Amino acid sequence: MSKRETPLLPVSDAREAALFFVVGALCFLAALAALTTRGTYKAAEAWGAQIEGDITVVMRDTDRRTAEQAAERVTALASVFEARVLSREEVEALLEPSLGPGGMPDGLPVPMLMVVQADTSVGDPSPSIEGVLDDLSIDGDVAGNAGYAENVRGALGVLRLVALSIVALLSATAVAVIAFATHAALLARRDIVDVLHLSGAEDRYIAGLFERRFWILALQAGLGGSVAALMVTALIVFTGSGSAGVEAQLLPRLSLDFWDIVILLVTPLMAGLAARFAARLTVLASLKDTL
Amino acid sequence: MSRIRPDLSDEPAVRLDGVSLTYERTGEVLSEIDLVLKQGSFTFLTGPSGAGKSSLLKLMYLAHAPTRGGIRLFGRQTYDLKRKQLAALRRRIGVVFQEFRLLDHLTAFENVALPLRVAGQKPDSYENEVIDLLRWVGLGERIDTPTPSLSGGEQQRVSIARALINKPELLIADEPTGNVDPEMGQKILRLFAELNKRVGTTILIATHDLDLIREFDAPVLRLSDGLLARDTALGAAT
Repeated sequence: MSKRETPLLPVSDAREAALFFVVGALCFLAALAALTTRGTYKAAEAWGAQIEGDITVVMRDTDRRTAEQAAERVTALASVFEARVLSREEVEALLEPSLGPGGMPDGLPVPMLMVVQADTSVGDPSPSIEGVLDDLSIDGDVAGNAGYAENVRGALGVLRLVALSIVALLSATAVAVIAFATHAALLARRDIVDVLHLSGAEDRYIAGLFERRFWILALQAGLGGSVAALMVTALIVFTGSGSAGVEAQLLPRLSLDFWDIVILLVTPLMAGLAARFAARLTVLASLKDTL
Repeated sequence: MSRIRPDLSDEPAVRLDGVSLTYERTGEVLSEIDLVLKQGSFTFLTGPSGAGKSSLLKLMYLAHAPTRGGIRLFGRQTYDLKRKQLAALRRRIGVVFQEFRLLDHLTAFENVALPLRVAGQKPDSYENEVIDLLRWVGLGERIDTPTPSLSGGEQQRVSIARALINKPELLIADEPTGNVDPEMGQKILRLFAELNKRVGTTILIATHDLDLIREFDAPVLRLSDGLLARDTALGAAT
């Protein structure tokens, strides 16, 4: 005689296979959405910092020598990585969309442009740059991108919120699907539940049977979904890492670092816990209607 | 195993006061039933098909609640019990169902062990006891057989063993000999009588088998058209 106890709920049927697929698919989408959310967050941080660090200085009625002198002194400032005056070709390229391919007319008074790359986390270098311009008696303006960066951060914040909402919606859907499946399983196994009841089983004992069943099912399905999400992410990371165009910079940055792996591991656990929770509540609520 | 409270010795095992049961579809099946089963009593319940015997038993083993009236089991009113207390009360009752109600995916052993498993006992603690009981009902060679592979009579005997494994204080049997041969039927009823005499188990048996009833000197209750009366012509006077 086998000492191993047969589960009191019969082993899975076709309905559970369908549920396995649905929960797996939901976990796959939730994991991808969570990874995308994190990627969006990282992109927002990096992109915002980059934009904030780019400063343009417009110098009017100034010759190139004085402008180069200003650039040297700006470069010496503590928070500045680099400062350089744009060449005439670079300025022409910038103005090409407005003036056409013929180049600038010779008599056109074009200001000198200096681009500065700074570390804004140390502090805003704009007042110091303005001081350099004053020292050299240059009529100029310092144009930072803080306001623009704020707008970018705002837009990415909305994107992040949308991604988090998708994760929440998928989680709620998973809970609802499992609650529905538990109720269906309870109805399908009413005969077993009745016998257990009449044998003296308490509600929590019966609920525990369904809890364990759906905990394991959701854990396995969630693991499947996470593995699928891992494979898709790995595919994107390894095949998409070569593209460095503007589009690539605008897209969320998928990666596979420590926290991404944590997300992939936590997803099936969350699915399992949600399944336990949904199954327990459903069974206890249903049993209350019986004697 | 938790008990609700100690029984008072003069409290009947079962007491029904003005119990009625009405089903939504079929209407009233039991009407103003008054019944007392003393502790340690052995009683037959008979009556035509559809008279409400199974419904009456369901009230007693707490599968249904009455539409009107009160049920006291072991001295405790049942309508105000919490669900946990109802479960504890059910563990004191053994039930042999007319339709067996065995779990098809379990073996004969596992079905018999079910009440012990539900009570939290481990296989090691009940293995010998279950095997002995299965041997006694003549299923010593069928211990590990899945119940769908058993004949109707064998399934009936598994059902009886399951009802007895917990050493219930009240045994309720709905047509327990309906699917077994007369010899096994007599053997089963003799076991019930022995349990009643030696352990003091209160026993109520619903049956159509009047010949079997006549072999035992026990009171007989007759249920007809939802009304309950003592059948003095068939059973013992007490």
